Amino acid sequence: MENEEEELIEETITDNDEDKELPEFDGEDISREVVVPGEVLTEDTKNFLPGRGTIFNKERNKIISLNIGLKQINKNYINVIPLKGFYTPRAGDKVIALVTDKNPVKYRCDINAKDEGVLKPRNTVKRGKTRGFRGGGSESADNSTDKYQIGDILIVKVLSADRLNQPELTTVGQYLGKRRDGIVISIDPPKIPRVIGRNGSMIKMLKNLTKSNIFVTQNGRIWLKGENIAYERLLIDAIKKIEREAHTVGLTDRITKYIDNEKKIRGIN
Amino acid sequence: MMNTKRVISTIEKNYILNNLRKEERIDGRGLWEYRDWTIKPDVISSAEGSADVTLGDTKIITGLKYDVGAPFPDLPEEGVCTFMAELLPLASPIFERGPPSEQSIELARVVDRGIRHADCVQTKKLCIKANKAVYILFVDLYVINYSGNLIDAGGISSLTTLISSHIPEGKWVDDQIEWTGKYLTGETIVNELPIVTTYGKINDIIFLDPNLPEELVSDGKISISVTEDKITSIQKSGLATFSLEEIDMLTKKSMEIGKKLRKELNLWQYKVKY
Amino acid sequence: MPLIIKDEYPEKLFREDGKRLDGREKHELRPIKMEVGVLKNADGSAYLEWGNNKIFAAVYGPRDVHPHYLAKPDKGILRVFYRMATFSVFERKRPAPGRREKEISMVLTDCLEPLLFLELYPGNSFEVFINVMNADGGTRCACATVAALALADAGVPMRSLVTAVAVGKIDGELVTDLSGIEDKAGEADLPCAITWFNEEFDGKMDLEEFEKCLTLAKNALTKIHEIQLNVLKNKYIAIQEEYSGGKN
Repeated sequence: MENEEEELIEETITDNDEDKELPEFDGEDISREVVVPGEVLTEDTKNFLPGRGTIFNKERNKIISLNIGLKQINKNYINVIPLKGFYTPRAGDKVIALVTDKNPVKYRCDINAKDEGVLKPRNTVKRGKTRGFRGGGSESADNSTDKYQIGDILIVKVLSADRLNQPELTTVGQYLGKRRDGIVISIDPPKIPRVIGRNGSMIKMLKNLTKSNIFVTQNGRIWLKGENIAYERLLIDAIKKIEREAHTVGLTDRITKYIDNEKKIRGIN
Repeated sequence: MMNTKRVISTIEKNYILNNLRKEERIDGRGLWEYRDWTIKPDVISSAEGSADVTLGDTKIITGLKYDVGAPFPDLPEEGVCTFMAELLPLASPIFERGPPSEQSIELARVVDRGIRHADCVQTKKLCIKANKAVYILFVDLYVINYSGNLIDAGGISSLTTLISSHIPEGKWVDDQIEWTGKYLTGETIVNELPIVTTYGKINDIIFLDPNLPEELVSDGKISISVTEDKITSIQKSGLATFSLEEIDMLTKKSMEIGKKLRKELNLWQYKVKY
Repeated sequence: MPLIIKDEYPEKLFREDGKRLDGREKHELRPIKMEVGVLKNADGSAYLEWGNNKIFAAVYGPRDVHPHYLAKPDKGILRVFYRMATFSVFERKRPAPGRREKEISMVLTDCLEPLLFLELYPGNSFEVFINVMNADGGTRCACATVAALALADAGVPMRSLVTAVAVGKIDGELVTDLSGIEDKAGEADLPCAITWFNEEFDGKMDLEEFEKCLTLAKNALTKIHEIQLNVLKNKYIAIQEEYSGGKN
């Protein structure tokens, strides 16, 4: 069965500029110290400022962690990389959406965030694909909600997301659109970067060793399709292991060994 | 798989169905296999009987409390055993707060029926004084985590609770109750061990012990309660229909599976000596 | 005509050897065990055993508010639902929520709300479900303690955790961590929660004893807080130690 867009090659999460600033789990400047909400990270407020996941206390003489996470120092900012958390949509994010409802003017989608996403028909059809005049063309082609059904899995991009409105989505773009086969699993959104790895090292390894197609997205959801169910089970187990051990070093090697080992134990080759 | 609330994706349903056709399930089981059971009896100090049972990730904690009261007028020499179930919101975002839902009532009633029609609880032994005082047993099931197949987990949880129970023994003396200081235990109260086995059906495929995704995509379910040699109750739910041949096949399977499970779990090991 | 054996209150709450009825010293805590992440369908969860108390807590959020009219446009809301199982107490409790449960739900909400940054989640709610399977004194303290863990496990940003314990007076002596019998038969009972020192007072005590109580509470709370921290961290540290030899 074919998926709506061309065959997948790469699956990396979109490049937001902000992303480049976010520390990754296997960065060298992560202290690997696990901290919890309310924990004092430093009392040296002369030299440090609160960064991500941290805050001054009332008297402004301490910096406190807001989350369970790993303590990280970046220049003079103290950050806490959360180990648990929920997904907050941002413009540019690629996510996996499940169509939960539709009416003639829009689709409603579960994107694993506190608000449902909205997909409007005009964002499901490429501009210019319709015959007709410049800037117009056949209006009816992109006005109806016949294209997708409740229960469909779509890879979408977040067009806009702010505090007041529901996030707006689109299926127009590379690698976006409906998936007709495969399966979707969920992991903690903060652990997603680990499944990709530095420069995609982890995900490349996973794809090669398990002969699978994998699409990893920001909202913690991962679409995958293997050659057979045995490979798929192994891949899912490997991803769950990455999720559990995301905060450790040497993970890529360890997962590689795990997969090789399990293949022998399970009799897959 | 994906943490959804109520809608399950089409590709997941297809995935489950296509693999079931090849007799494959995502957790590696065969079509007629149970997930792993763990059973812990007598876990609640304030209850006269209790059990913490997990089937796969489904977890139910059950407790038994007793009261003494007047019997039903049409059964003057028999005690009463009544079941209640609550699907706690902690068990799943699908479960809402509030009065018992259809699903929780179904759970309580199916478990009740399976046990009642098997003559499992010896209600005649729960009589202190005919027409005046009998034991009333309240068996309350709390679903702590929902991962499919609450009924079978509920059944085993209830049986374990009853078997591990220890209820103060009362005698009727001089027109009132005197407590002897001894206890009625599971050995006295429980006679038979009915096992309830639940099957899911998707299209034309039937399989034992649906896990969560399987249950959410099933067209229907059927639960069959069996003792060593008899069928004691059948309950079907959902839109799916079952042909006579299918029911015949399933009742035979249930006897087999029931025998095997009874042996494997060996629930009598959980009786207490008080 | 229900006739059941009553749990009788013992006359003395101290034994011949000076220890309490369950063998503890005056300021000894009961055994406490905690776990996080035990319920996979919830956004965050925790389980606690404290003496005979057995309590589950689960958090859902941020999510839509039901019923909708309770939603606030400028900030999120926190709702705590405390329920006890029918068999959690000696006399079977009726299944439907009672006044005491509603009151404790409110007390717990007041205790937990200051920890959260609700202004970041307008129109949404955080719901904490606490179910007591077995109760034996100090239940509301145990609930505050386990609810804080569940919120942390859900990844909700928090100003700090909450830790709670009850101190009180039995047979004229000040003790820490009252068990069920001590709670019922003793003279005074003071559950304390730290941070944001919420106090709720129950009973008779003079000012000097009250201050002593607070000091006792602080000692006990520090110990319990240690357990909370360890439970949250160990999940990750154990894995780190298993796999890395390097400095953490």
